[in-house]
Amino acid sequence: MSFIILIAAGLIVPIFYRNNIFIAKMIALIAFIVAAYFIYQGDSLNSIFPYFVLDRATMLMEFALLATLAAVSLSLTGFERPLIAQMLFLAGVSLGLLETNNFFLYVVLFEVVAIISYILVANIRNFFNAEGAIKAFIAGAVASGIILLGFALFSLTSDSFNYAHMNVSGKFTLIAVAIMLAGIFYKLTVVPMHGWAADAYSQVNHAAAAILSGVIKSVVLVATFKAFYKFMIAYPLATVLIFSFFAILTMTLANFMALFQKRISKILAYSSIAHSGYALIPFAAAASVYSYAGVLYYAIAYIFMQTSVFLILNDFRREAGVKYLQDIKGMGKRAPLHSLFFTLQIFSLAGIPLLAGFLAKAVAFYAGVDAGLWPIVLIAALNSALAVAYYAWIIKHLYFDEPKTNSTIKMSAGSLIGQLILLAGTIYFGIVAANVINSTITF
Amino acid sequence: MVAVDIIFAPIFLSALVYFLTRGAQHIAKYVALGWFIVLFIISLNWLAQIMHPEHYAFAPEVLAYIKSTGFLPLGEFLSVPAFGFSLTLQIDALSVAMLLLTSALLILVVFTSWEEKNQAAYFSLLILFSGPIFGVFMTTNVLWFFMFWELTLVPMLFLVGYWGAEGVEVKKVFNIEIKLPSRVYAAIKFFLYTHVFAMFMFIGFFLLFKQTGYWDFTLIKEASLATPALIWWLMFLGFAAKLPVFPFHTWLPDAHVQAPSSISVLLAGVLLKMGAYGLIRFTVELMPATTARFAMWMVILGLATTFFAGFLAIYEKHIKKMVAYSSISHMGLVVVAIATMSYDGLSAALYEMIGHALVISPLFLIAGWLHHKTHTWYMDEMGGIMKYAPYASTIFIIAGMAALGLPGTMGFIGELTIIISAVKSFGWWIAVIALSGMISAGYIIWSVRRAIHGEPSEIVKKANFHMSFAEKFALAIFTIFIIYFGVNPQPIFDIANKAFSFFGGM
Repeated sequence: MSFIILIAAGLIVPIFYRNNIFIAKMIALIAFIVAAYFIYQGDSLNSIFPYFVLDRATMLMEFALLATLAAVSLSLTGFERPLIAQMLFLAGVSLGLLETNNFFLYVVLFEVVAIISYILVANIRNFFNAEGAIKAFIAGAVASGIILLGFALFSLTSDSFNYAHMNVSGKFTLIAVAIMLAGIFYKLTVVPMHGWAADAYSQVNHAAAAILSGVIKSVVLVATFKAFYKFMIAYPLATVLIFSFFAILTMTLANFMALFQKRISKILAYSSIAHSGYALIPFAAAASVYSYAGVLYYAIAYIFMQTSVFLILNDFRREAGVKYLQDIKGMGKRAPLHSLFFTLQIFSLAGIPLLAGFLAKAVAFYAGVDAGLWPIVLIAALNSALAVAYYAWIIKHLYFDEPKTNSTIKMSAGSLIGQLILLAGTIYFGIVAANVINSTITF
Repeated sequence: MVAVDIIFAPIFLSALVYFLTRGAQHIAKYVALGWFIVLFIISLNWLAQIMHPEHYAFAPEVLAYIKSTGFLPLGEFLSVPAFGFSLTLQIDALSVAMLLLTSALLILVVFTSWEEKNQAAYFSLLILFSGPIFGVFMTTNVLWFFMFWELTLVPMLFLVGYWGAEGVEVKKVFNIEIKLPSRVYAAIKFFLYTHVFAMFMFIGFFLLFKQTGYWDFTLIKEASLATPALIWWLMFLGFAAKLPVFPFHTWLPDAHVQAPSSISVLLAGVLLKMGAYGLIRFTVELMPATTARFAMWMVILGLATTFFAGFLAIYEKHIKKMVAYSSISHMGLVVVAIATMSYDGLSAALYEMIGHALVISPLFLIAGWLHHKTHTWYMDEMGGIMKYAPYASTIFIIAGMAALGLPGTMGFIGELTIIISAVKSFGWWIAVIALSGMISAGYIIWSVRRAIHGEPSEIVKKANFHMSFAEKFALAIFTIFIIYFGVNPQPIFDIANKAFSFFGGM
């Protein structure tokens, strides 16, 4: 039911684009709320098709997804109106991707999400920004091809695509999974498949970047863990080797790259890539009972904080033309509200306690320790601590430097409500860990 | 219920104070003062309950619990049964001593920063700081302990980075030249340094839970640990960087010098004590057998810290850096005292922790005040301050004498008990530690000679040495404490007796 509502709203919304963006926003908002209500009633895709299961963990992720998308749609301006319909479609498809228990549907829906992401990266500002969009498109197309190749190999040996009944001991399964993961790593922006992400995230409209880097990545993260769980259990050694290697490579390289960037959007893009690295730790630790909790917690925390920082950057860019790090000098005085939200979410990204980013890291890293991978977790923890260098650098520019001009930036009401929703998520999941862990521990 | 409120209320209170007093900045300090006095009274009340539980109407099982474990239970919150995880608040005599010290210093810091700029933000950050620092000393859950530990860094980052001293630092990072205010450099260095080392501790705590199944340190038993040595070193690294122990001390001179003097008081008086508190709790109390194995390492590192920092202090011309190194030097003694793992040694450590906080604070305050008035950091450019500012000079000398261990002050009792307990545990050779008193005599007396006495320099003649009443009051309180507890140390040893009764007591 919720799926139908979201897709229908996505089809209706463009009618209102021309005369009143406010009505379009309200329709989107109502669609998100009604969809959330139906999900709460247990009435999502699972009541229509047999290949979908709605459990408590999925429900939680879907609430986080819908709340985030509602916050994004509230803070959009008229210029960004095409995003509203795209977000509604994305929400519908993401529900499917999260709920499915069928590997075939996972691949198909993954492709649909990929197509929506190509449309999202097309939200460029001018001709020169097309580079990021083209890169994202080509990299995505290559990734799709690779995933299909792996999936074809896998389907040779398995007669069922149900997650629970898949045959994971076929001759080609391991190689098929490795090939599929290579494709999926493109979407998760794992180094060395990350090249497109830094450009795409920093060059497209920042609201679209918020959806690309925050929402889509989190959804793909959770869905991928559910889809590959059985493989990861069946091949423990390969799992540990592949995921911990890529996790360490990703976070280390991305953190170093972030240190040297001058564009603030690129810093955030590389920080987003580094976060994919941390999120791979619970994948490597699939043997632990806390691995699913780690992935889910990471996705939920990440969806709130990453979306929020890009939305604020969008406001900065629109109101003050912020491009480079030095452009945000003294924003603490010029735009106190923006800066406050930005700082809190940056602290969350940096892993400061009482914000979701910390508990997410704590649970994800604990999964690693539980599976006996403490040296890898130690490297990850040190990485996340060193990442504070560039996060603190941003905060230094915000608060400790003098502004260049004294013009103040006001926050629009929609933007304020959107940021409050995202901050509420960050703080709630930063203090109350019970929901996520209780919903996943029986997995 | 009051326990969890005083940890989390400051978050809301600080936001409230900031937005309500932005128009009328001078009100903020009264709110902060009131809040810290409330904290002090609550801590006093807890102290009374722990020292004499039989005088209070506890339920019989609670009374038995307090008598058997020494911990006063304050409740359990936000529990996650599937993860065995909850915010457990329990305090014993050691935590209460730290809480009292913290709240007393916070009250005095309000007086010493009476005329600080941008007061609404400053005092709201101080209020924000009071929450997690109380949490650190109140929780027995190791993960929450870690969370509060990290959280104290955030207000400190802003307090040092925004209100710190003037000056520009040029740093080369990978051939890129970065020019930034030295206070910002110091703040970020402090944040990064302690944050990175805390990560070792973080993994150590994870391994504790993995190997025992408990997050609560009153339940974790060393017997069931598979890799105690690894965990011990991981945790020790985190505490050592905070204390700071010799190779990990480089953040401290930067941070303490660049911070405003009142914040230096908190850094030296409270944040370093977090390290010592952690060391007592998580090494001596939690893993006695492993600590005994590595005690000699602690002694060597402690001695190295004491002597290295002491010699640097002699060499230093910068008055606040001299005080900062002397602070490191004294913390080295605390490490040696903790390494004895005896009742005497731990009592001496607790006494020296409190003594260090009370002695080093007026030194920092006066060093910062002198810089504020003379605009120079260097003792060679001062001289003859006694003639122009006799009050501050007298207190500098008294506190300095306490730092070098003059009988009748807190410094003497602290050093004496540490030396006696160390000789008892390690043999006569440890008496070399007494040389540290000589070294501190060297730098203190020399700095008094250079800065306080002698002919007034041109800079000093031109300066206007006015001190506000609030600052004088705070300095007087520090001095009274130094002498009172120097003459009558029994109250602190009473608390120590209760805190370390598991080692036998007296």
